Amino acid sequence: MNATASSGRTFPGGLGFLRPPAEIELGAYGLDLRGLRVADIGAGEGRLALGAARDAASVLAVDPDRGALARGRAAARRQGVSNVKFSEGAAQSLRLPDASFDVVIFSWTL
Amino acid sequence: MSCRILVDRGVFVDARPDSRVSARVRATSARGRVIGTIGTQRLTKMDDTMSDRAVRDVLRRKLFHSRRRGRLWHAIPFEDIGELNDYLTDHLRFSRRVQWLVPAARRRTPLFVERAVRFEILEKKSNDGLTSA
Repeated sequence: MNATASSGRTFPGGLGFLRPPAEIELGAYGLDLRGLRVADIGAGEGRLALGAARDAASVLAVDPDRGALARGRAAARRQGVSNVKFSEGAAQSLRLPDASFDVVIFSWTL
Repeated sequence: MSCRILVDRGVFVDARPDSRVSARVRATSARGRVIGTIGTQRLTKMDDTMSDRAVRDVLRRKLFHSRRRGRLWHAIPFEDIGELNDYLTDHLRFSRRVQWLVPAARRRTPLFVERAVRFEILEKKSNDGLTSA
């Protein structure tokens, strides 16, 4: 799928429902997450968090929606992912220590 | 935009639907002909403008620098126009109606809504390099 970008690079977004697959979106970012501590703020059901967990040392998925977090935890169990923690919280009032993450992701959150 | 929880030189990813460009409705396949467009609700555009301003502000204040930016296109499939209309009825960002570019008789299905997602990779500057905070 090609498109004209007004600035920057353009990447294929994949064919999926509602959101791009994690591997496509994270691939577009071009980040090497190996060994890093990642926070996904507004993580929802953990679509990106679970994708990032393949490479990252640890991932914290934060969202105010308890139902979404529960579904994310269930997906993590199903996939055998143990380095993702799901936590209730809002972007405006994060109770997290200073300088505790190497990468912070706000996807569809701002 | 908070950077408190990031380490120095840590990376902040800002990704969100790009309301500066309309979504495209394609017919029969994700690469099919564009037969319509879908705009963004006015209040959502205002929110996006505020977010853009926040990103520009942290760059201007030299709290972050931009490592990379780009856009990806994401296609959402719909079996028919009814399903697409139902989706738009509840949508928080998209306008409620498609601006069709072809007459009804030429709106072949399935339909694919191709939307733009913009992203920017921002690197937090180290405290040593800060001139203001």
